[in-house]
Amino acid sequence: MAKEFGTLFLFLAGGFVLSLVIVFVNWLLRPRNPSSAKARTYECGLETEGPTWVQFKISYYLYALIFVVFDVEVVFLYPWASSFKSAGLVPFVEMAIFIGVLALGIWFAWKKGAFEWN
Amino acid sequence: MIGLTHYLILAALLFSIGLLGAIAKRNAISVFMGIELMLNSVNINFVAFNHFLHPQFLAGQAFAIFVIVVAAAEVSVGLAIILALYRRRANTGVDELDLLKW
Amino acid sequence: MDFSTLTLEIGAAALALILLVVGLFLPDGKKGQVGIVAALGFAFLLVLSFLAPGSKGPFFMGQYMNDGISVLFKQIFILGSLLVTLMSLRFTRRFEDARGEFYVLLAFSLVGMMGMAGATDFLTLYIALELMSIPLVVLTAFEKGSMRSTEAGMKYVLLGAMSSAILLFGLSFLYGAAGSFGYGAVMAALTGGQTGPLVVIGGIFALAGLAFKVAAVPFHMWSPDIYEGAPVPVTAFLAVASKAAGFAALLRFFPVVLVPLGLGMTTLIVLIAALSMVLGNLTAIPQTNIKRMLAWSSIAHAGYMLLGVMVASFAGAAALVYYLLVYLFANVGAFAAVTAWSELSGSDEISSFKGMWKKSPLISTVFIVSLLSLAGIPPAAGFIGKFFLFVEVAHKGYLWLVALALVMSVVSLYYYVSVIKTLVSEAPEGETSKADIPLALRAVMLVSAVSTVVLGVLPGPVMGYIRNILSTLSS
Repeated sequence: MAKEFGTLFLFLAGGFVLSLVIVFVNWLLRPRNPSSAKARTYECGLETEGPTWVQFKISYYLYALIFVVFDVEVVFLYPWASSFKSAGLVPFVEMAIFIGVLALGIWFAWKKGAFEWN
Repeated sequence: MIGLTHYLILAALLFSIGLLGAIAKRNAISVFMGIELMLNSVNINFVAFNHFLHPQFLAGQAFAIFVIVVAAAEVSVGLAIILALYRRRANTGVDELDLLKW
Repeated sequence: MDFSTLTLEIGAAALALILLVVGLFLPDGKKGQVGIVAALGFAFLLVLSFLAPGSKGPFFMGQYMNDGISVLFKQIFILGSLLVTLMSLRFTRRFEDARGEFYVLLAFSLVGMMGMAGATDFLTLYIALELMSIPLVVLTAFEKGSMRSTEAGMKYVLLGAMSSAILLFGLSFLYGAAGSFGYGAVMAALTGGQTGPLVVIGGIFALAGLAFKVAAVPFHMWSPDIYEGAPVPVTAFLAVASKAAGFAALLRFFPVVLVPLGLGMTTLIVLIAALSMVLGNLTAIPQTNIKRMLAWSSIAHAGYMLLGVMVASFAGAAALVYYLLVYLFANVGAFAAVTAWSELSGSDEISSFKGMWKKSPLISTVFIVSLLSLAGIPPAAGFIGKFFLFVEVAHKGYLWLVALALVMSVVSLYYYVSVIKTLVSEAPEGETSKADIPLALRAVMLVSAVSTVVLGVLPGPVMGYIRNILSTLSS
């Protein structure tokens, strides 16, 4: 046990030292000519427009909330799928009902206009 | 050797940290984070007991999955209510929901 | 698998989904009709629960149980949902296009409550508990225009999640000690061996989590705020149905920890019950808001009802169910009267009740009957309910507890009667518009007042029915 963890530690230390070495070598070899253009912030290669601390549209949160719920429900599909072949018909029907209820939920959110962008 | 006791101590610590966060924090979102910590400590308990003491069925792990899903549902309801609060007092940040005194 | 065990649960879940779809198809101005469909659906379920309560027995490999206790509790939940739905038909106008969802959430919460009454497994208990609480949170915060409603919802979701976490932490230790989630298996596994600290911690945490749901001291701090902030019909639903569901779960769960831990657990419950009675009744006295006062009084009632759980016997369960029924009618009556009055006067402060007798004798009569029942004055049913309950406690040998409960009932008389005194007192000069009470609300008030009196004068038939169901369907 101690030996295995020792190996792991060696790898960790090696990785850490290596990254330090790379930073140091870069610092040693780089040309030094600073300019104002280099000091500016940039966003995807472009200059930023307006302040960066803006409020997100509230619709984002609606998407996010709905997404989180459906995202997590999918957890149940994994154990079901991994025993799909041996499980038989009853779990299949149960899962169909489960997905049906979820689909009803999506439909409800749709009709309520949660996916509209305005 | 890492054994059951280690997991239980970890879970108990997480639970206490979560409880402290839930009680002491004023920010509603931080309170939620504290509660999430508490729930996750429960998950650690379930999975650890399952693995070390009762490995014949995966009941504890199944329970953990259910806890995760229900917690997500609970949190999305909570976040929706935080949004409603936020909309009502549009000029204040979420960190100023200090009406929550109990 | 015999799905007829789950007749009522499947019926309620189907009703919830149907209401959801119906709400989507109705045009914007007509969403209120969902409420009528919901009322019809609940009435149908109530009839079904008498005609076909589902075949008796365990289900899902012992995770679920349909026996006398669950059938009786399911009937209480359905009755509560039906009365609250009828009571809110006009009230929900203020929710405009979200009216439909109000009833959908009620129905989903009902499914969760039924699950709590039937759960004989930690997993089922937890899922059912959350299925009940999450819609209740949304209902509490339903009044989007009102800051208090939103904040009450916020507090409810935070404290509710915290209490679930505590419950789960306890359950995880019980699972660790017993290696199973089923109540029966846990009991069997824990009875033989010595009880380690694991079981003690687990039992205490789990009981604390459930005590939160029934709002017993010292886990009561959420209920006054939330009762005050929530829309009135939701408050009624919380006070009646969700509290009953908590007791259903406790009634099933308590033996699981009682058997291995014995006297210690009984002492704990007795302590919680005594604290609830004392603190609930004493704090109710200075309240000026009727919803807050009823919240404190419901904490006190949770104390009385915990005595029924503590007895842990067949007769104790029967007395508890009877008390819950009495409590349901009294509370629905009181909250229906508050709803009617607050539509009229726009206030739910006790001081606004002045002159109620002159303005509307109907509201006042229902209110007085309900309050007398809550206080336990003889013609109303509260007296006989308390009598059944206290007799069982006395049989168990806790005479001092009965004495405490009686003293506290006398204390409670003070604040109930002072409300009655306010509402019969002279109105301050002002306009005297005639009361306009919607038909459904009027019906709810009459039904609960009449039932309160009938249950108080003729307890025999109902108690006989309860005992009969308990013994024929019991395992």
